[in-house]
Amino acid sequence: MEILKTEALTKVYGKGQNKVTALDQAYFSVEQGEFAAIVGTSGSGKSTLLHMLGGLDRPTSGKVFVEGKDIFSLKDEALTIFRRRKIGFVFQSFNLVPTLNVYENIVFPIQLDDNTVDEKFVGEVINALGIENMQERLPNQLSGGQQQRVAIARALAAKPAIILADEPTGNLDSKTSQDVLSLLKVTGQKFSQTIVMITHNEAIAQMADRIIRIEDGHIIKGGRPYTSLDSAESEGILTSDMRGLTK
Amino acid sequence: MTKVNNRQVIRRLAFRELKANRKMNVVVILSIVLTCILFTALTSVGGSLINGIQQETMRQVGGNRMAGLKCVLPEDHEKVKADSAACDVVYRIIVGRAVNDELKKISVELNCAGNDEAAEAMFCLPTTGRLPEKENEIAVSTLVLDELGLPHELGTEVPIILDRDGEITEHSFSLCGYWKGDRLAMAQESWVSKAFADIYAPTPSTPFSPQSPLYTGYYMVDFNFHSSWDISGKAKKLLTRIYGTSENRPDIGINWAYSAGNIDGEALAGGILILLVIFAAGYLIIYNIFHINISSNIRRYGLLKTIGTTSRQLSRMVRIQAVVYCVIGIPSGLILGSLLGKLITGSIMRTLNIRSEGSYEISAKLLFLMCLIAAVFTFATVMASCRKPCRIAGRVSPIEALRYNDTDISCGKKTRKTVKVSPFSTARSNMSRSRKKTVIVVLSLSLSLILVNTMFTVLRGIDLDKYISSQIVGDFVIKQDQASQNDEDTYQKISPEVISSLRQADGVAEVDPVFFAWGRLKLGGKPLERLNALLDTYADTDSFDAFEEAANGEVITDIYGISPELLRYFESTEGISDIKKFESGNYALVMTDYIGAAEDSTDDQFYEIGDTLTLSTWDGKTQDFEVMAICEMPYALSTQSYYPLGAQVMISEKAYSELVNQPNAMTVLVNAEDGHFEDADSQISMLTGSYNSDLIIKSKKTYAEEYSDFMKMIKLVGGTLSGILALIGILNFVNAVVTGILSRKRELAMMNAVGMTGKQQSSMLMWEGIHYAALTAVCSFLFSAVFSYSVVKMVTEGLSYFSYHFTLLPILICIPILVFLSALIPSMAYNKICRESIVERLRVD
Repeated sequence: MEILKTEALTKVYGKGQNKVTALDQAYFSVEQGEFAAIVGTSGSGKSTLLHMLGGLDRPTSGKVFVEGKDIFSLKDEALTIFRRRKIGFVFQSFNLVPTLNVYENIVFPIQLDDNTVDEKFVGEVINALGIENMQERLPNQLSGGQQQRVAIARALAAKPAIILADEPTGNLDSKTSQDVLSLLKVTGQKFSQTIVMITHNEAIAQMADRIIRIEDGHIIKGGRPYTSLDSAESEGILTSDMRGLTK
Repeated sequence: MTKVNNRQVIRRLAFRELKANRKMNVVVILSIVLTCILFTALTSVGGSLINGIQQETMRQVGGNRMAGLKCVLPEDHEKVKADSAACDVVYRIIVGRAVNDELKKISVELNCAGNDEAAEAMFCLPTTGRLPEKENEIAVSTLVLDELGLPHELGTEVPIILDRDGEITEHSFSLCGYWKGDRLAMAQESWVSKAFADIYAPTPSTPFSPQSPLYTGYYMVDFNFHSSWDISGKAKKLLTRIYGTSENRPDIGINWAYSAGNIDGEALAGGILILLVIFAAGYLIIYNIFHINISSNIRRYGLLKTIGTTSRQLSRMVRIQAVVYCVIGIPSGLILGSLLGKLITGSIMRTLNIRSEGSYEISAKLLFLMCLIAAVFTFATVMASCRKPCRIAGRVSPIEALRYNDTDISCGKKTRKTVKVSPFSTARSNMSRSRKKTVIVVLSLSLSLILVNTMFTVLRGIDLDKYISSQIVGDFVIKQDQASQNDEDTYQKISPEVISSLRQADGVAEVDPVFFAWGRLKLGGKPLERLNALLDTYADTDSFDAFEEAANGEVITDIYGISPELLRYFESTEGISDIKKFESGNYALVMTDYIGAAEDSTDDQFYEIGDTLTLSTWDGKTQDFEVMAICEMPYALSTQSYYPLGAQVMISEKAYSELVNQPNAMTVLVNAEDGHFEDADSQISMLTGSYNSDLIIKSKKTYAEEYSDFMKMIKLVGGTLSGILALIGILNFVNAVVTGILSRKRELAMMNAVGMTGKQQSSMLMWEGIHYAALTAVCSFLFSAVFSYSVVKMVTEGLSYFSYHFTLLPILICIPILVFLSALIPSMAYNKICRESIVERLRVD
């Protein structure tokens, strides 16, 4: 089932001579339960894409569908509410609320929605991430790896449709990066979460089910799952000759 | 090591930073302006009042020099002139007194001024004409001319009957100069020429002898010391230097305008307290603003350090910015502050009914001095408040700077109990981010509320009825204007004709005269024992003449004759109610106010009820009375002055007229017929005016007006002060909240990203503001209550027209406004940052 889809997503910054097309006619979709990595160099437009997928920024043109819903048809307030229900974020710089303890940070989006916390589920998430002993600690008492695990727990806790991770290991050393990524992948599988991660690190990207390459605002590879023959063909993975064979 | 000249770079950097932060500059400069206004207004009000009181005292004394040698010889003048401690030395030669019949009301002294400076030192330099040079010339004040009935014209012939130590001669002078006379002065100075003095007041050959006091021809030498500190000590030393310990060294007089005794301890403590509060308020705001602004710049400072700026250079940068802020802020504060100060001083003067407005006009020199003090104070406050932020800026490490987010949650707190997340609970936990900041903002907001509350308590406590009844009994009081004279004559001005025409005036229901004369009480038996005991108690007190007389068993006495009707105005005490008994003329009321210290203590009374007292007049007439009651003098009936160790006795009108040979009354109390107050008012004014223009009429209405002026003054002074403090508090609050929100821009964007809606964030920030308001409310309730019960109650208890009521009403009224503001400002600031998209805000480092 297609859980995330973009249509001709375009973002242009500036005007006239300063005009920069950060994202150009991007088509791209993600299936339920998939772990996709968007890879690109600095300035390739991957962050812009992720921001748009998460509804943090509005595109110049084009659409983003999450669970079939055109998210940019929503007004700002409704979009924020949609975000806290359907999208979990993991940022490079953790972005925990410094005045809330670990547990409060994890349930923050749920309680903002005035929902009762599914204690059992949250407990499982916490256990899976190995942060059960630090629930009353404040973020500044945690190491970077621990903070990122809390951030992952926060993203998972609200049972969103999709988790967007923006360079989740960017601020961590390589050992911790491996641990955190494994946790992200394992917990994602455990709770059948769809994850879209952006990174510039090829090695990290290899852990994903699928790699989407982006360069100068164009998706050059992996924009759609290979279930669609048209898309596989369009990306040169499937030649017209092979098409006959598959049929 | 090579010395690198990097001053210019740092200066340029400091100026660029300033240019980049325009909004912050406005806040900082505004805070400096407000602090400077406070300091300037305070110093100029305080300064002009102290200066005014000093000037007025000097005019009463009749000179502005700090000390003076009395009755000395010309060689003494030379000795003083040669002494290095003395400066501005002037002299005058005593000639005598003018004893013309027309001049009986004022005391006129004839002297010869050494020079213009000597005349000026006594405020008697002719403003028209000049000092006399020829033998027949004289310069006098307009008051003397008026009393003599002469025109204010140079060349006018001035007849003077001169008394030189008892030797009377008549002279006719030609007027060569005059100046505006001052009723305040104890004596009117008149100048004659040196030529005249040489003839009629030749220099005596022997030093002045107090045993056979002859004054003519002696010099009065007045001078200043270099500072007014410890004048009497300096004067003693000067005497010792010039005369050694010789017994017949001359008297030295200290000008009491300079004595520190003018300022009593309580007023001084009050003044210091107010100064401290204002200094604290100024420090709080400036410190807070610098601290906050440096915190928000800290990332940039980290960056500068990474590229090689040293701590010292960073501190220098902050200091340069502080100096620039001062250069802009202080002059504007000085101008606004001195204008405000002038306004307040004007109001205080009008209210306290200070006659000599001129003396309260402060000179340019003094104004400059006060502005200098205020400027130095403000500058010191700014520099003191930027010291710590400077250190923070210098100490910050590049990495710390990047992490710095105005949050010192690390202050020992590692964990936090889990509570349900909501805008409210998040706001609450945000309050503990920077406790110090919270405390400072709350304190500075509370300060103004506490002040407003105190002011209101004072205003509300002043009781109009109590005030009026302490000032006046009956509907009208008619008495002589006692500009300065304090002689018996002043109290015997209202003739029987005036009284009888008042009795016949329309609308007048009752007329009760009060008569007054000085006399003596001869004490014997028990009263004498009590007097001696009292003398022992006050043995340490300076020996007043009164004490010497009292040692002989005699005390100076105020003798009042009153109509028995007036007894009803007395506070009821034992024996007072028997009007018939009092009317018989054999009984006397003894007042309790003999001596300052004995006011409240009945132990210190000479007499008890039933004792016999013997009153004698100056003429030597004596009469015995039985003490009918010991009671407190209604202030409005008295001369409003008393002698140390003097007694005050009231006898009936009838007994008074038999004892004292003086038909004129001191005061007349008039009650109007019901509903005829206005009629009576106009009738009385007309009548008294036609008899004697120096009589003043005070009615309940005039006191009510004075009262309203008084209230206006307190409202103005208190209102301005608390208004400025309120502004400072609000500015502090706005600055704290706005910079708090701006520095959390990224955090707020992140919260928004994970699903906190704009409404929720707005309400979180509003709750933060309301937390400030709530803390302020608690703080001001608490402190105001304590302050009101302790200081306000204590200070106002002494005022007879004050009834203390505890109140926190003003705070109750202010709190909704505060809540409104503290909810409004954060959401306004939030709306401003929301103009940027989440992504843009997330990118902020």
